[in-house]
Amino acid sequence: MTLLSLPSRIDRDLYPALMSPELNAKYPTDHKAFVRIDVSLRIYWHTLFDICPELLELSGPDGMSIFRPFMAWAGEKKLAFDWSYYLWVYVWLRQSQFKDRLLADGKYLRSIMAASAARWAILDRGRSRGIVIGCADTTDLVIGWKCRSVRVGREIELIEPEEPLPAPSDIFGYFTLPAFELNVFPGWQGLAR
Amino acid sequence: MRRWPLPAAQATFGASKRKRKQMRLGFNFTLGDTYDMAQRLMAEGHIDYCEFLIDNFFCVDPDELAKAFDCPIGLHIMYSKFLEADRPTLVDFAARLKDYIDALNPIYVSDHILRFSHEGRAFFHLGEIDYSAEYEFVRDKVLEWQDIVGQRIHFENYPSIMDGGVEAPAFFERLMKDTGAGVLFDASNAVCSHRNCGTPFDAWRNVIAAAQHFHVAGYRQSLIEPFISLDTHAEQLAPDTLDFLANFRSVFDKPGATMTYERDDQIEFDAIVADLKLLRNLFGQPQEGRHDLAVSA
Ligand SMILES: [Fe+2]
Ligand SMILES: [Fe+2]
Repeated sequence: MTLLSLPSRIDRDLYPALMSPELNAKYPTDHKAFVRIDVSLRIYWHTLFDICPELLELSGPDGMSIFRPFMAWAGEKKLAFDWSYYLWVYVWLRQSQFKDRLLADGKYLRSIMAASAARWAILDRGRSRGIVIGCADTTDLVIGWKCRSVRVGREIELIEPEEPLPAPSDIFGYFTLPAFELNVFPGWQGLAR
Repeated sequence: MRRWPLPAAQATFGASKRKRKQMRLGFNFTLGDTYDMAQRLMAEGHIDYCEFLIDNFFCVDPDELAKAFDCPIGLHIMYSKFLEADRPTLVDFAARLKDYIDALNPIYVSDHILRFSHEGRAFFHLGEIDYSAEYEFVRDKVLEWQDIVGQRIHFENYPSIMDGGVEAPAFFERLMKDTGAGVLFDASNAVCSHRNCGTPFDAWRNVIAAAQHFHVAGYRQSLIEPFISLDTHAEQLAPDTLDFLANFRSVFDKPGATMTYERDDQIEFDAIVADLKLLRNLFGQPQEGRHDLAVSA
């Protein structure tokens, strides 16, 4: 095993690297620290491509032409990696070499909006029951509902409104629903980083 | 009929065989799609209680949840993030949690000592704390969190990877003493810690002896070398996990003891039943009914 000059006694020594492919590369590959960081990075990878496998059509099967530059960009922007993780991938794709192919087929955006709505419905612990996500590139809305009964998990809905809502001022906007009904439009909130 | 006096060793064995078996087995219920399976495990007698990942169900009516299973319930909190969240957020979380505590009268309430983020950025593979440098901070947070919830909480040990994990047993022992908190001792997490950073099983002896509530699950190795063992809840129980349980059986088993078999992936009924049978064989069929478990809570 290579001697490691970076501190790696405890997990906390590795925190910044757990979300950074660039920092992972600074650790020798035969060291436990490298493997521990690799395990963490794989989960960011799987969270993206297992849920939105269409994106692999853009990147190629290993996903790395999206994953590496996105994670570096997210690091610069200090993105929180909350439920909006997928939406930020779309924001990045939209200014990348993949832009034209991304915008040519609505399936990528639908998949990304549904993934973020589902992530909100799984992870959010606030009192809201649902989230509505809108995008300047479509008039469709995606709603994520939290688990509302013992036997039913979270639910995701695609809505094509007859009278479209005003477009959010950024690429994405969202609002949350205090009950299990879509009966309010309080205006769009922008994504927090 | 002639009767022979037993040699001392056999006499002891006879006596210990008569000792009451007390370990109850449970299954983790995290999402609605395993509802029918959990019910079947209960109906066929493979488990004695269910452990709810309770904050997944914060939008389900507490009474509906209480009626969903006719068995004792343990509560496992995943995302209180009590080390990182501000007090108003924790107070609101606890207010909702209390509705479920009131409706379900759980055997125990448990939570995690974990890092969910670093500098405001979320980990997708959760982080282990620094047991020596963060002790006082965690102790104070544990005291505050128990105070907000209004009851004792059992905190789960982490499946350590890096070498600092060897400090976990002493940390949890000290934490129990200083805060009155319990430990939800995850046996397979201790196996991961043993495999990854050499934490001796014997270092956990006092923690196991003081703990009433346990977890156990499968783990798997990392895809690349040098291999590390990962707490995945997707595989069968490993031989070294079963050996650990067998070697410490009498330290685990005690009045009111519970062990939740965790499975979150590769959820196959027969495979789960096979593991539960191994655990039953190891600990024996508990001799008190479900009713006593609720009472002992
Ligand atoms: Fe847990
Ligand atoms: Fe566990």
